[in-house]
Amino acid sequence: MPIQNYIWLSIALFSIGVIGVLIRRNAIVIFMCIELMLNAVNLLLVAFSKYHHDASAQIFVFFIMVVAAAEVSVGLAIIVMVYRHTKSVDVNILNRLKN
Amino acid sequence: MPSPSYPTLWPFLIYGILVLLLAGGMLFISHFLGERHQEKETDEVYEAGIEATGTARLLFPVHFYLIAMFFVIFDLEAVFIISWAIAIRDVGWGGYLAVVIFVAILVAVLIYEWRIGALNFGPQGKKILRAYRHKIKGVNHNEVVDKQNN
Amino acid sequence: MNALISTAVFGIFLMISGLFIKSKQAIRILAISGVVAAFVLNIIDFRQYGASATELFHGMLSVTNFGLLFIEIILGCVLVYFLLSGKDLANIGHYTGEYFALIFFILCGVVLAATYGNMLMLFLSIEIMSIPQYILAGSDKHNLKSHEASLKYFLMGAFSTGFLLMGIALLYGATGSFDITTMNLAGRPIDAMALAGIILIAFALAFKVSAAPFHFWTPDVYDGAPTVVTSFISTIVKVGGFVAFIRLFHIAFGSPDVDKHWLLVLSIITAATLIIGNVTAVFQQSVKRMLAYSSISQAGFMLFAVIAMNVLSWQGILLYAAAYSLATIGCFAILMKMKDYTYDGYNGLAQKQPLLALMNTIFLFSLVGIPATAGFLAKYFVLSAAVEKGGLLWLVILAVCCAAISAFYYFRLIWAMYFKAGDCQVEEHAITPAFKSVLALTALLVIILGVWPGLILAWI
Repeated sequence: MPIQNYIWLSIALFSIGVIGVLIRRNAIVIFMCIELMLNAVNLLLVAFSKYHHDASAQIFVFFIMVVAAAEVSVGLAIIVMVYRHTKSVDVNILNRLKN
Repeated sequence: MPSPSYPTLWPFLIYGILVLLLAGGMLFISHFLGERHQEKETDEVYEAGIEATGTARLLFPVHFYLIAMFFVIFDLEAVFIISWAIAIRDVGWGGYLAVVIFVAILVAVLIYEWRIGALNFGPQGKKILRAYRHKIKGVNHNEVVDKQNN
Repeated sequence: MNALISTAVFGIFLMISGLFIKSKQAIRILAISGVVAAFVLNIIDFRQYGASATELFHGMLSVTNFGLLFIEIILGCVLVYFLLSGKDLANIGHYTGEYFALIFFILCGVVLAATYGNMLMLFLSIEIMSIPQYILAGSDKHNLKSHEASLKYFLMGAFSTGFLLMGIALLYGATGSFDITTMNLAGRPIDAMALAGIILIAFALAFKVSAAPFHFWTPDVYDGAPTVVTSFISTIVKVGGFVAFIRLFHIAFGSPDVDKHWLLVLSIITAATLIIGNVTAVFQQSVKRMLAYSSISQAGFMLFAVIAMNVLSWQGILLYAAAYSLATIGCFAILMKMKDYTYDGYNGLAQKQPLLALMNTIFLFSLVGIPATAGFLAKYFVLSAAVEKGGLLWLVILAVCCAAISAFYYFRLIWAMYFKAGDCQVEEHAITPAFKSVLALTALLVIILGVWPGLILAWI
């Protein structure tokens, strides 16, 4: 398949992720949309890796996966901590800081 | 770049259409031929008679998050070790040294997690047993048992 | 690469030692000695590397004496930070060892940011800097505002990471390389994919250094996080983000036929940052929030170093890193000793604690850019770099106007300290002679750098 198809697919996935982050209010769903963005990038990198006949992008994908896992652990811990106090994961509740 | 033709794609399309037709047809036909009845138990979750207890939307204990986190972290470390194992002859002793450092860091993290008690999930068997003995046999006997255990 | 290894090893060491050592004092002293050790080891490194880049680990790192000098400045600022605010950091909660360990992990990321030679290392350095910050921002476990700051920071930070990665992926698709020196954008017509990649990376990095219009998370996060953490993330980490920014844009995208594509975008970002940061800071009532907006406006000045791209801008970012970090760490150290964080809480500080008021005045002078302080020279260097570049005169004039606006809200604090009557509440027991002397030394350093910048610049 031509490389354009992969580019369009991953840009579509990335855009869905971005729109999801901007319009959803549930922290967990926002988080999932961010993961969707990262995975769109992974797909694009692997496609480019094949296109350029260069394995370094695949190594990059490993690192993205590991960093995403680290972010998941920290992020879930933060969301659990917030949930314990507010009993909600709605990000609109969290507006006390605004003056 | 020129787009190649796809000579092998059309059977897949026909297969997909057939699957949709079959599944849709089964639902459509059974809508007309199927038996209908409205009894007391029809809308229950288990029609065979077991009564459902509560909803399926349970709150899971937060410890499960911890297990998920550890799984994600330790699972992904394997990616690096396996990719080292594939290239083991090419990277030589330098790669071996790197992987040893990597595993040493993992061991340090494991020690840390162990010490802060993050790995003690689930019910604490010893504590429950001690509390149980305390309840049925009284304080004195409990101390004796404790000494034996130690 | 002594600094990289020593900060990482010390981070892990502190993390483990937090489990076995219960004394907060002992852990604090361990951390301070760790910074001193990294400082000394980095000086030893300094002799081996010259002005031309040395590639390490197959081009993953490219070490220059600029990078090492920057690391040296950062380690010096962290040493000052530990000496001034180490006790407050240890007292956020129960997990003293972990707080210091996270600071060391962030330092490891900053070291990577100053020496990366590959997009992979850029990504890792940004993430190693960011992830511990999410935890530190939420480390005050009983304060809901701290949780909120942490969640907001985390969601926004992860979002911007997505943009950074998309930019890197598109750039890789266009060039076929992750190496910032062999990316080879120059000398051929630039295609849409590479251009989109550069712009996405610029947006993501602007997000990390809190430049407008990507600054909206900054005031909330800086206000909600524990003050001692805000002091760190608004100085060391922000400056670390800038060094990643400037190195990427100068080395990889710096050639004249590439920079015409992004220069206007970054100029607009700079102008917006200067205006929004300064104008909004005027209307704040809380000093902590004012310092948050001030850090946005100072980021606007540091962006000049990114868009100017000449020798002066490299020197300017080094001076700015030192001047801004030292002055802001000092201001926050005094703020932490106050019980009331509003401007009125500072009323009459000059009568009660004359030394503290004097030091705070020196730090604020440096932030405004009064001559004979380090801040003046730093601003002078970055602005004259922009003048030398040419075509940016409108931006320089705007920056000078904004510096004049900034004088208003900084001087308002000095006015409150010296000319308003009132009894400010100070935590007297926390102001020890040791604290005062370190504060005085820091203020002295700010003045010395202001009259003799060769202390830093002679090394490159």
